[in-house]
Amino acid sequence: MRDVFLPRSLEKLWTYLDESPGALVFAGGTDLLVKTFNGFPEGEALVCLDRIDELKEICQQGESIWIGACATHSGMVASRLVRNTLPALWKAVGEIGSPPVRNMGTIGGNICTASPAGDTLPPLYAMKAEVEILCREGARRLPIAQFIHGPGATGLQKAEIVSAVRIPKPQGLNLQHFEKVGLRSALACSVASLAALARLSPDRVVEEVSLAWGSVAPTVFTCPQAEETLVGRPLCAASLREAAEIVRHRVRPISDVRADAEYRRTVAGNLLLRLGTLS
Amino acid sequence: MKTTMIEVGYPAARFDARSKVSGEEKFAIDYSREAILWAGARRAAMAHAMVRGIDTSRARALPGVHAVLTREDVPGTNRQGIIHKDQPVLAGSRVRHCGEPLALVLAEDRDVLEKALGMIEVDLEPLEAVFDAAEALGADAVRVHESGNLLHKAVIKVGDAGGAFDRCDVVIEDSFEVPGQDHAFLEPQNGLAWQREDGRISMIVSTQAPFRDRFEIAHALGLDPGAIHIVSPCLGGGFGGKDGATVQCLLALGAMRAGGRPVKMVWGREESFNAGYKRHPVRMWYRVGAMRDGTLQCIHCKLIYDTGPYAHLGVEVMALGMEHACGPYRVPNTLVEGWCVHTNNPVSGAMRGFGVCQATFGIESMMDLLASKLGMSRLDIRLKNALRRGDKNGAGITLVNSTGILPCLETLGGHRLFQESEQWKKLAGPYKKRGVGIAATWNAIGYGRGLPDSAIARVELTREGKIRIYSSVSDMGQGNSSAFVQMAGQILTQDASHLEIIQPDTDLAHPSGSSSAGRTTYTFGNALIAACEEMKEKLLHRASLLLMLDEPAGLALLPGIIKHLPSGREIPFDLLGRLFPESDRMAVKQFVMPVARDTLESENEFKLGFPHLLFSYGAHLAYVEVDELTGKTEVKEYLCVTEGGRVINPACFDQQVHGAVVQGLGYGLMEEVLTRQGKILNPNFTNYIIPTSMDVPDITSLCVETEETTGPFGMKGIGEVGMNAPLPAIAGGVEDALGCRINRSPLTAARVLAALDARGVNR
Ligand SMILES: Cc1cc2nc3c(=O)[nH]c(=O)nc-3n(C[C@H](O)[C@H](O)[C@H](O)COP(=O)(O)OP(=O)(O)OC[C@H]3O[C@@H](n4cnc5c(N)ncnc54)[C@H](O)[C@@H]3O)c2cc1C
Repeated sequence: MRDVFLPRSLEKLWTYLDESPGALVFAGGTDLLVKTFNGFPEGEALVCLDRIDELKEICQQGESIWIGACATHSGMVASRLVRNTLPALWKAVGEIGSPPVRNMGTIGGNICTASPAGDTLPPLYAMKAEVEILCREGARRLPIAQFIHGPGATGLQKAEIVSAVRIPKPQGLNLQHFEKVGLRSALACSVASLAALARLSPDRVVEEVSLAWGSVAPTVFTCPQAEETLVGRPLCAASLREAAEIVRHRVRPISDVRADAEYRRTVAGNLLLRLGTLS
Repeated sequence: MKTTMIEVGYPAARFDARSKVSGEEKFAIDYSREAILWAGARRAAMAHAMVRGIDTSRARALPGVHAVLTREDVPGTNRQGIIHKDQPVLAGSRVRHCGEPLALVLAEDRDVLEKALGMIEVDLEPLEAVFDAAEALGADAVRVHESGNLLHKAVIKVGDAGGAFDRCDVVIEDSFEVPGQDHAFLEPQNGLAWQREDGRISMIVSTQAPFRDRFEIAHALGLDPGAIHIVSPCLGGGFGGKDGATVQCLLALGAMRAGGRPVKMVWGREESFNAGYKRHPVRMWYRVGAMRDGTLQCIHCKLIYDTGPYAHLGVEVMALGMEHACGPYRVPNTLVEGWCVHTNNPVSGAMRGFGVCQATFGIESMMDLLASKLGMSRLDIRLKNALRRGDKNGAGITLVNSTGILPCLETLGGHRLFQESEQWKKLAGPYKKRGVGIAATWNAIGYGRGLPDSAIARVELTREGKIRIYSSVSDMGQGNSSAFVQMAGQILTQDASHLEIIQPDTDLAHPSGSSSAGRTTYTFGNALIAACEEMKEKLLHRASLLLMLDEPAGLALLPGIIKHLPSGREIPFDLLGRLFPESDRMAVKQFVMPVARDTLESENEFKLGFPHLLFSYGAHLAYVEVDELTGKTEVKEYLCVTEGGRVINPACFDQQVHGAVVQGLGYGLMEEVLTRQGKILNPNFTNYIIPTSMDVPDITSLCVETEETTGPFGMKGIGEVGMNAPLPAIAGGVEDALGCRINRSPLTAARVLAALDARGVNR
């Protein structure tokens, strides 16, 4: 037996968290469910965030897009704002799991799980998103790369929740791309993924580029050296090959039952070549 | 419910579609009874070991534990197995694979069961083990059994393969390898059993072979087969994975020790992977010789089947693979050598395509290679050699029955997808390469010589005036019971409201073979037709008595009635049902499948299961697109042409073909039981990858009809044949796209990318 709380407001949430300090919060429960298969601390209370309406909103706030932690992947797929302003994230969430997983799973859950294979993470890193953290006493913000420490490890303190992710609205980008490589076309964990954002001049010279890879290192992998190689040159197979070579040297992939490190390393580089084919 | 006429040849919705969709239909797993005990097995989790001791005292002491049984508690031989009785119900002294059961716990609920299983202390002394079938054949290999690791060696020989190679214009050689595959049915192995007051054991179980189960259980536990009663509801998938004891012996053992309480056992998904059997991993070596014009002269091949530590149907699987190893072609000289080998890998056994889909990868790859070597088209070389009625096949059998591979290939060649292949390939986008592959295949139906492939059908007119069919072959989703209803409806002119079917129950139906081997509808259907015809004669005769007619002339069966057409007088079925005793209201008929009559040089190589007389055929085509950056291979369109005699229900026919192709695509692209030290690394659907709907292309299923004169309404079974061709068709497509052939399946992105890299495509 365990208690499950379903607060409908933040106020109620804080009360429950005060009453059950060991309680575990969750949103869609899609990652939590899997954890329960491998033994789950008995007796601890569960607090569900997904009925707190203010955590589900998706809106523009000044020059940022604000996505509530409990926005579901389906919710983001259906959002015009996400589709039009954050196409890389939109693509990523549209490919997560399967329809039921997208209906339940949330962006906050994806961030807090901090898996190297979390599909929202490469776009969030590439867009330099910030994570909003809330507790009864107040709010703080951390760049996503600082919030996530390692596989499954975040900067979340006791009695804190993630309330939202704040994404600077991409300005003047004409390439926003996400590609996931899994072992099949749906219901697949990423074995490598790439989010890429770039501003290209009319003659396709790279003026600005931001790249982030999933599943090729303990956390999302970024590579300023590869970005530097691309900036100032036309986006073409030759420059991309050079950048790909750098990436292959710098990624730190693991071998597991899904794919071996060598495959992930090769593909991490290869995925860059796709950028040359995008119009 | 709308009352529809039930006729053969019409694509009617399945008779049981409504009950399946509404959830009314009960599968074995849905059954429960008062006061059940849950049974679970403690498994070895070690591939090869001596059992030093099993301490069950802590588990026994746990409140809620009813019993903990070990080897000493097993009466009888403690050996299960379909033909070779070699697999312990509970291992007592030696463990030979990770899934080996060591103790059986009966508990009040599943939580207690889990806990108790964890509290059993198992003391195992690890032994050196062998995981490679070729290595296991070595003289100094670790022995899985005292008798050695070679379960069976066989040779099928026709003509003079040795000498014929010298006379060939071209000779090619290559090797291939395929891994194990899981059946991945939705409903795991499970059942419910209880001992009745008269001592008999009743069992409701997810099984493909209810009648044979009685003997397997009886042999293992020292019981009278007549004291075992099996009920086989519709299965939530079988694919061969429930053809032979899974939970049966453990359940019966539990029931014997449960004091009359019902015992339920349901394997979890991981247990289903670890303890259930798999498709055989096979290594193949082929040598093929042909003339310059493409005429096949000779084939020599060697096939090594890894059957794991126990036989299951390993020898029979290998026999069928060897029988098909030369493809649906005319080959005058063949030498097929097979080794069925024990290792400490998971047990291998029956699965749809039964040894054939492995060999089809070998021979069809060789046909592609030969076509390239001779500069012929892949279709032409197959057309040139395709078997025709009257030919001898590669195992030396004269094909006197329907033989439709040629029209399958011709239909494929005339199809838009084949004709437009070249244009389609040219439209590949950047970093995409496209190719088109084809494959020809066949699959025997029936058990083959040495094991009568028989069925006994019983039909009855109930007191209420319905025609009831007692099916004695399980329906695992292939739709055979629906076909039976169609056949009975056709012969007896009945609509759905006057027909019913009872799923197999060994106390009600008459003994028949298993639901397997593409034989289910064929063999039982033939018996059913005879029974329905007898029933028809009987009904007409009994009606004529009531109508005081001198003879039944002018009488017709109509839904629910018998009508005298000249006078318009009617006798309703329910009146007959009430007037005649049960023993009169039934008809029971049997059928045994005919067997091949040729005398063969190799006929004593197998005690049973070789050779076969009847085959279904197929020709497949796959549009394949490879991504050069990731190696990901997608099948974009798929065409399959199938010949299985006449079609009882075109909708069910297509469903069978679609299902087989999807399972075959999984086998070709992603499905692979990964093991390390005999332990399965991906024993769940997180990492054992099967296709989703997003991985399946449009599948065009075309049918080439022939008349199988021995078949019920001219049909043959087509449940398996579609499974065999996708892998070679895809591999051929990948080769066409990239110019390199991948000889190890499945064709995962990593394998394809490695092949690309080896050719320096990317960097
Ligand atoms: C079948 C299946 C397929 C999947 N496929 C994919 C996929 O393709 N790509 C992918 O990236 N992921 C996938 N996932 C993982 C999962 O669905 C996603 O990570 C999802 O976004 C998690 O969200 P959730 O709300 O369900 O998380 P939960 O399970 O509710 O929570 C996950 C963790 O985060 C914590 N948490 C959740 N929300 C908050 C919050 N607001 N503040 C603080 N802590 C919080 C919880 O305590 C828990 O530890 C899949 C999962 C399943 C079961």
